Amino acid sequence: MKVGDLALKVYTAFIFMFLFAPIIVMIVFSFNNSRFLGAWKGFTLKWYYELFRDRELWRCLYNSIWVASLATGIGVVFAIPTAYVMSRYYFKGKTTIDSILYIPIVIPEIAEGLTLLLLYVWARIPRGGLTVMLGHAVWFPVIYIVIRARITGIPKVYEEAARVLGANEIQTFFRVILPLIAPGIISGGLLMFTWSFDDFIKAYFTTGPGFMTLPLKVWSMAARGGVTPELNALTTMWLIISSSLAIVYLKIQKK
Amino acid sequence: MSKKLVSIIRRERILRLILLLGPPLIFLTIFFLLPFVICFLYSFDIFGTRTFRGWFYYYMKVFQPLYFKIFLRTLGIAVFTTFACLVLGYPVAYCIALKTGRFKSLLITLVVLPYWVSFLLRTYALKNILARRGIINMLLMGLGIISEPLPLLYNMLAVIIGMIYNYLPFTILPLYASIEKLDKKLLDAARVLGANPLKTFIYITIPLTKPGIIAATILTFVPALGEFIVPALLGGPGTYFYGNIIWVAFIKMRNWCLGSAISIIFIVVTLTLIMLYSKYVGEEMTI
Repeated sequence: MKVGDLALKVYTAFIFMFLFAPIIVMIVFSFNNSRFLGAWKGFTLKWYYELFRDRELWRCLYNSIWVASLATGIGVVFAIPTAYVMSRYYFKGKTTIDSILYIPIVIPEIAEGLTLLLLYVWARIPRGGLTVMLGHAVWFPVIYIVIRARITGIPKVYEEAARVLGANEIQTFFRVILPLIAPGIISGGLLMFTWSFDDFIKAYFTTGPGFMTLPLKVWSMAARGGVTPELNALTTMWLIISSSLAIVYLKIQKK
Repeated sequence: MSKKLVSIIRRERILRLILLLGPPLIFLTIFFLLPFVICFLYSFDIFGTRTFRGWFYYYMKVFQPLYFKIFLRTLGIAVFTTFACLVLGYPVAYCIALKTGRFKSLLITLVVLPYWVSFLLRTYALKNILARRGIINMLLMGLGIISEPLPLLYNMLAVIIGMIYNYLPFTILPLYASIEKLDKKLLDAARVLGANPLKTFIYITIPLTKPGIIAATILTFVPALGEFIVPALLGGPGTYFYGNIIWVAFIKMRNWCLGSAISIIFIVVTLTLIMLYSKYVGEEMTI
């Protein structure tokens, strides 16, 4: 039994190594004073310097942030009423609508991106940041699922009490339901923001000339072949920023 | 009087329903459903963008051995990735959930940590390891084990490593959630009643964590089937997935009708598989 436990722990440690080695290598070599991996040529910050000097990269970051923020905003506005109606109303065709809402999440992204491109071409909509953002907003069911799970968990007694005490449906929603689903809105919104921020395929198909999000920029750097130290530095920065955001988020959730 | 009141409330409810559900559904119709209708029309070349060769010309092309082989390959790799991730990930989830005591939340957070870096960068990170001048080759050459760099990148092995690397946390997370909820008394009871660890595992742990296994399977299989980035960055033309073929047909060949036909087939197959699986699993769950 004890030997088995030890073996299990060694195995788990091995898998952790597999998961982390590539990222650790990137972090270490982001400080390497050489274009090539494999050989350590001394400590440098020059790849970070290059990264910060790259104005196009900053523009891409800015693009990614506004696209993801706007898409998440629209997503929240769509997801809240949808989740409310789907969990509190009974009507014909509800199951159909429910399954339709799940499709954007499970369908291969490349098919989504491509069909959206066909729509834009067919309707002669000029492609750019706005079309990318609208494409991402289609993922609002991600937030919907999180919020709906929360609303379903709220005992109906709360609403009934509010109604008995004289609040109408709208008041009940804003005074009782909304505060209770707020954590769901935050975590669902965060999830959608990450989806949008990290998206490459859909953005590739729906963007127009001159508009690049951060993943599109990373792709153009990574697909060039060979090894780019700037990307190592970018990964390190990315990891630091997203980890700190996650820690802040966890702290908020605990309160 | 009361009948009238009821009917007004009814009507208002329907009005509210339309007001609340209308905008999201209209948006979804325009930017999600309509595009698929247009794609469907394109796949029959209804807009006459190319020389007309018959309604089903592009679908017949999709079923030619060249494309069909890639389709089967994609399916095979997705199944293999899912299976490999389950087999590799289950012991890890089990170990974290039951054997690490107070460190378990920290460890499970660490498992998802790579997810906070972009998918592209994570896949690119593997390139650093496997490249001709990557870590493994440099290490082996430095130790004098090999004299020429091994071709580790741009082949099927690299793609499979990349798939497992990217999807393993997707598998571990739901497995962990369901193993953690497991009633440990049942494991003790099985042991007291004389079952050896293997028997306990097969007859108690696995059946009780089935919901986690099912969730892990879906979470891994669905995105694996539609994968595009991993074969594009780590593989070569010989390892293309169905997603890459759509890309080639669309971007490289500029054959929108063919790309549309491939997409339609791809979507139908994906949705059918998910539906079959959830139906079969749904029946399993009620037992």
